[in-house]
Amino acid sequence: MRVEYINPFVESAYSVIQEVLNVEVKRGELYLKSSSIPVLGVAAIVGLAGDVEGRVLFDMTRESALKVANDMLKSMDMDQIDSLNDMGRATITELANMITGQAVTKLHNLGFKFDLTPPAIFTGDNMEVSDPGVEALIVPMEIPQGKIEINVAIRERT
Amino acid sequence: MKAKQDFPAINEREQIGLKAPGEPYRVLIVDDSMFVTKQISQILSSEGFEVVGTAADGGEGVEKYKELFPNVDLVTMDITMPTMDGVTALEKIIEFDKNACVVMISALGKQDLVKKSLIMGAKNYIVKPLDRKKVLERIVMSLSA
Ligand SMILES: [Mg+2]
Repeated sequence: MRVEYINPFVESAYSVIQEVLNVEVKRGELYLKSSSIPVLGVAAIVGLAGDVEGRVLFDMTRESALKVANDMLKSMDMDQIDSLNDMGRATITELANMITGQAVTKLHNLGFKFDLTPPAIFTGDNMEVSDPGVEALIVPMEIPQGKIEINVAIRERT
Repeated sequence: MKAKQDFPAINEREQIGLKAPGEPYRVLIVDDSMFVTKQISQILSSEGFEVVGTAADGGEGVEKYKELFPNVDLVTMDITMPTMDGVTALEKIIEFDKNACVVMISALGKQDLVKKSLIMGAKNYIVKPLDRKKVLERIVMSLSA
């Protein structure tokens, strides 16, 4: 996978999380994973299609997901939730959509033309994310709500 | 000196969601995320706009617009949605009503997409993440355009 692809995702995650949650984001070391299956419990997924195909996974624990969702809801003076219900899922998937949308915009400006699909969310009970058979780059990010692993797998169309 | 509350009429007119006293702009919100729908709805309602419909994909958005017409003044249109995307929905709404006031609200800010939407008839284009000020400013601009 080309390294150029990864930076826009890191930058966008930074700026969107900072803007939406108003917290400090710490970035861990990048690492490669041969299997790209999420592990933490809640995974929002956004597909990529165009010059490339692939997907971006935002992998986090259920606890972190709930905290992130509640903080996003709170920032809009919306009611808090005590489980990852429809509103909670809509909140997490929208965060994934905003980060990926901004990254795709940056990549577009660099000459890589592709689009994103509407986000979906998987939880521990239905974690059947198909593996595109390509190595995934993982960007671990630490925020006060917990850890978010951004898992990017992209391959050029053949 | 008089306190601000001595002028209720003036305060009322300050609500930018009203086209005339007691007459709100009527809004259709199209977005596949109920979080965003609620976010936009809250921002607009607080300024006096009336949300008359919501839709979770482009197709539903076009249908709702036709149902509501002519009792709808503004559409906020997401782009990345299942079944029918927002640009296609924009095209269909403009086909039906060339004077429709549609404002795109998307996480995608790609220049060609912005340009394409504006050429097709969108009145403005707002890139997510949303904040209250940005949303209100652009929508007021669109309504007066
Ligand atoms: Mg969307």
